[in-house]
Parts: sequence; C-alpha cells; structure tokens
Amino acid sequence: MGAGGAAAGKPPKSSRVSYIVLRYMRRPIMCLIVVYAVSMAGWILIPGVDEQGNEVTLSFFHAFYFLTYTVTTTGFGELPSTFTEAQRMWGIVSLYVGVIAWFYALGSIVGLVQNEDFRQSLDERRFAKSVARIKESFCIVCGFGNTGALLTRGLSDAGITVIVVDVRPERIRTVMLRDYRAPVAGLCADARIPEHLIEAGLLKANCKAVVALTQDEDVNLKISVTASLLNPGIGVITQSTSQAHEDTLATLGENVHIIDPFQTYAKYLGATIANPAVHTLNQWLAGTPGATLGQSMQPPKGSWILCGYGRMGHWLRESLEAQGISTVVIEPEPRPEDVGVPNMIVGRANQETLLQAGIEQAAGIVAGTNNDSDNLSILLNARVLNPELFFVVRQNRYRNQVVFQAADVDLIMMPSLVSARRILFILIAPLMKSFFETLRERDESRGDGFLGETVAMLEARVGGSQPRVWTVDLGAAESGAVVRLVEEGRRVTLGDLLRDPGDRSQRLDCVPLVLNSDGRMRVLPEPATPVRPGDQILFCGSPRAARLLDASMNNEYTLAYLMTGLDEPRGYAMKWLHRKLAPAQLPERS
Amino acid sequence: MNLEKVVFSFFIILALTVNFGFFLGDIDNPDHHDIIELFLAIVVNLIATGLKLGDRSQIGAVLLATSLVACLQLIAAAITWAIAVHVMEIGLTPTIMASIVSLSGGALVANIISVAMVVTETLMLRR
Repeated sequence: MGAGGAAAGKPPKSSRVSYIVLRYMRRPIMCLIVVYAVSMAGWILIPGVDEQGNEVTLSFFHAFYFLTYTVTTTGFGELPSTFTEAQRMWGIVSLYVGVIAWFYALGSIVGLVQNEDFRQSLDERRFAKSVARIKESFCIVCGFGNTGALLTRGLSDAGITVIVVDVRPERIRTVMLRDYRAPVAGLCADARIPEHLIEAGLLKANCKAVVALTQDEDVNLKISVTASLLNPGIGVITQSTSQAHEDTLATLGENVHIIDPFQTYAKYLGATIANPAVHTLNQWLAGTPGATLGQSMQPPKGSWILCGYGRMGHWLRESLEAQGISTVVIEPEPRPEDVGVPNMIVGRANQETLLQAGIEQAAGIVAGTNNDSDNLSILLNARVLNPELFFVVRQNRYRNQVVFQAADVDLIMMPSLVSARRILFILIAPLMKSFFETLRERDESRGDGFLGETVAMLEARVGGSQPRVWTVDLGAAESGAVVRLVEEGRRVTLGDLLRDPGDRSQRLDCVPLVLNSDGRMRVLPEPATPVRPGDQILFCGSPRAARLLDASMNNEYTLAYLMTGLDEPRGYAMKWLHRKLAPAQLPERS
Repeated sequence: MNLEKVVFSFFIILALTVNFGFFLGDIDNPDHHDIIELFLAIVVNLIATGLKLGDRSQIGAVLLATSLVACLQLIAAAITWAIAVHVMEIGLTPTIMASIVSLSGGALVANIISVAMVVTETLMLRR
C-alpha cells in the first residue's frame, strides 16, 4: 500500500489539465486546420498577374501570409501584387470562413476557462505543486473551524507549514485570504476520501502530523484511521467526545492522540479556578500577546455556580468537586440521566434561579452554556445580584470576541482556544505535557505552592511577554558540538549550556523546562544534570538566549570555554605546544 | 589573556605588514621591491597557515582558506621572479615586475580579510 497503488487507475492530476484542454479544443483546432488548408489550396491554384502582366500564382508562404493578416482582420492590402477578380472572389470566401472559424475557436477558449471542471483541475494542480514544493516538515489540518483556524495560526507563528483540508469552499477561501507567517495551502475537498489526504501530502516523508478537527466525529475517526494505516509513523491528533470512537482510536497505537474538547476545557477551567497561575502560565507560554507572568489573580474560596450542565458542565463539576470546591448547577434541559442530581436547579439561568442557587453567598460563577448570547445574559443578571462575584465566561464563537472583551469579566475562556493550544503544544513542544502534568500533580498533592514558585522563577529568569519555547534535540545536526565533546569523554551539564558566552558567570535568560533522557522525563532539571546525545530538552527563554544557546551548541570552542572558562588551543601546532608546556604553565591562564 | 591568541594574531598581522612592505612602491620599478621582503612574506604566511590547521570552527575554516590564498599568490609571485631571472634570463623588466607586484597585491587583500576576521571574532566575544 503505497503511493503507486493509490495513484493507479486515475490519470495523475497534472495531466488532467492538458487532457481537458485537448478534449475541449479538439474540434475548434480541427476546424481551423481544415479552413486554413482549403483556403491556402485555393490561393495556390487560382492564377494571378504580376506587374509585368505575367501569370503567377501565390506561393505557399504568401498564401499563408495573406490568410494570417486577413482572417485575423488585420488587412495589409493585396500583397505581393494586385489581385485579379478571381482572386478577390476567393479572398471574400476565405476571409468570412476564416473569421468564423477563429470566432469559434476563441469562443471555445472562453468556454474552457469558464468550465467548472477545468478550473477545479487547475486549482488541484496548483495545490499539488505547492505541496510538492514543501521541503520542510509540515502538518495537515482537516477542518478549518474555530479550533482549526486557531491551530493553523499558532503553527504558522511557530514557523511550521500547514496544509488545510476543508470541505467548504468559503473556508478555503478564508485560508487563502489570511496573512500567515509560514506557508499555508488550502485544499477544498472531503477529507474522508483517502485520495484527498494523499494529495495533501500524507505519504510524504516530511509530513509530520495529521490533525482531524472536523465537526463530525465519524469524519474525524475516518481521517485518523486512514492516516495511521497509510502512513504508520505519522502523528495523528483527533477530536473526539464519544467513548465508542475513543476505543477504536486507542487501537491505532501510541502515535494517535485523542483530544476530548469538553474534557480538556473542563479540566483546564477546573485547574484554573483552583489555581489561576495555571492559566497565567499557559497564556504566557503560548505567547498570547500581552500576557505576562506578573498578572496574578486571587482564586476566591467558596461555592461556585455553574450555568449549563451538558457534557462540558459534567466534566467541570467533576474536576471542581475533586478539588473540594462545592458547586450548584443551573440547567434548563437536563439530560434524563441527570435528573435528581444533588444541587441542581432546573430552569433558565435568570435572576430567580440565580437567587435560588445562592448567588449572594457564592464565590464565583461560570457562564458555560454553548450559546454566547445566553452566557452574556447570565453575566448581566448575575452582576446585578452580586457584583463581587468572580466571573468566568465561556466564549463559543471567535467572532463574538469584541463583545466579550467589552463585558469586563475576570476570565474569558474559549473551548476552541484551549483545544487548539493543547494540540499546538503536542505538535511543537511534545514535552510540555509532562511539564504541566508534573506541575499540577505536585501542586495538588503537596499544596506547597510549587506552581507559584515556578511561575515566580520563570518571571525572574525570563520575564516579559511572548517568550520563545523551543525543543532541542541533542544528536541532531543542530547541536554537533555537544555530541562531539561528549564523545570525547567530557561531561557536559545543562548548567554549562546555559552560561552566557559573553560572561560565563552569568546565566542566559532561559530555563530548561523538561529534559527527556531515554524516555525519562525530568521536569525543571538541575543545572548539574549531565546531558547526553539523544536527549531532548524543552527550553523557554528570550529570543536572545535562544540564539546564543544555539550558537554555543554548535561551536565546540565556545562550549569548551563555557565548561572550563579556558580558551582551549585550536590548531594542531598550538595543541602540541600546549601539551609540551602543560602542566607547568597551565594554572597561570585565566 | 590567551597565549594562542597572542601568537596567532601576531603572525596574522605580521603576514599583512610584511606583505604590505613588499607591495609598497612603483609597480614596475624593481628598485622599490626587495626580494628578501618577498621571502619573509612567504615564510610568515606559511607559518600563519600552519597555525590555523586543526581548527574545527567555521571561522577557522574561512581563515585557513584566506591564508592559503595569500600563500598561493605570494608563491606564484616568487615563481614568476625565478623564471624571469633564471630560466628565461630576461631580468626584471617593468612588465615582469608589474605582474609580480600585482600578485603580491592579491595576497595583500587576502591578508587584510584575515586580519578583519580575527578582529571581528575577538570583538564578537565581548569578554
């Protein structure tokens, strides 16, 4: 099952264009050829007279020349000599017939350009060319909805090329109109059909991952299955909310990540309510414009009111109760299995039900229905009853951004943004997951403010807004100096890498978040930790630190200086001299 | 202070200055260009090249290349000199002298590049 097998049976995309052109233009071209042939034959056979009165006929060249300038309605006159009456008669015939034949041909060309099939195959060819041109690694995003659009934006900001596949033409047009930092190509096609995924570059070696984010879960399942069967090494990330689908997806292996958008959102919201530093840190690491680590919120203690008890509300309540936060839910249409759940008020969230839920004593409220106008009206009602509340509001549609910004709430959270960010981290910083998991676990289990300490440490070391987050693969071409020094039997530690080449007593504005050594994750590793080829390190730091770190890892002399504080001899001659003089003169060097 | 840096910079700069000394003067006048200076320029340039052997950094590779260019140009000048005087026995005519000096001029440019790179690299270190 490879590229050859999949392409068989149908002409390849590039030849389809010429095929349509040929089929469409066959008749007009035949017609032109016949008209030209007959006219030229006439011109050669009909005798004319030259200036001296001798009988001459037109040569093939002159006949073709005359036709060229007459049937295209240019008309230079009678060349090379004045025509006889017989020739003029034939001139009239060939002119009219020729002009009609040309009009027919031009009309066919216009028809061809307007032809839907032709345009589509032109678009497909253009798309295939842009996919073939991609040399760097890229991701395929199926479904350009809220989450898809946010993810595409995030990936392109991280410099990763994206291929968007969506069935709706207007969405693909949106892709084309937006301004992205990395190349983004759009294909308007049904991603359920394997051939379309192959067209999008699924089988290419530099295709890094396929992300299935369509609204239909069956489609997502189909895309995931297709992608992992056709290209088993590829990463697949898919959205799913149903257990049946998740069971199937789990059989596809460890390369398939399943994101339940409701669960992801609820977990994140729950963690944020328990400790807003999670949100601050997440916003900051994701590079949200204007987000800094200094903005901390105080989590209010007390009971919370949850408006909306659907799939997300369920997860949210579970997450909050697990952290010992009591909740009251308000839901107009509870599902049959939810009837009789404790602390539930059935009805729309208006002033009456809010009062019933004890809004005057509550600490905070989550306006979390799947309808933006409902959420805004809950917000307005609640604010009248208790303006001191901590307001969390769920924003469903990106286009309502302005209204939500104007509402001045404590926390606006968009489910699609949470999902998109999680997927983005899986794709560009796979180690980030263990960073957040460890932070949350330690914070929950010990409650010693580890999370707060980490945030304060990051603020002090890196600070600012929009830090760079990047993964370094030791052993790849990008860190040759480290590999060489380790192979020479020297011990390179993280702390050595993090020294400032300008002044080695200073540390770069950079923090290693996670060190992955043969699958063993170390979160916030100590500077004394030795690094080995094959390790992966997730760094977070300023752009300057990223640049300098990259340079140190590529230049063994700089790295050796960082390790020892000595400029080691470089040339053979100086190395020899150095060995001769050592150890007598060595200690004097500074 | 670093011993290697001192030795290295010394030879690189000496290569440039001796080369310049030979180059200075009317281009076709043999009286302005001393053969001992050419000899010294070649020796110093060869030593400077030898010191660069073994450096695995990028800048080391480029420095080695410029030094090799300078050596090549100076040796070509010396060969021209030897052929004109000893093989063809036409002596140092203005044409011959001009080509010898212009070859050393090429070496001078390569040496200037070397010095510029050494200075730049040192300034970039900021320590």
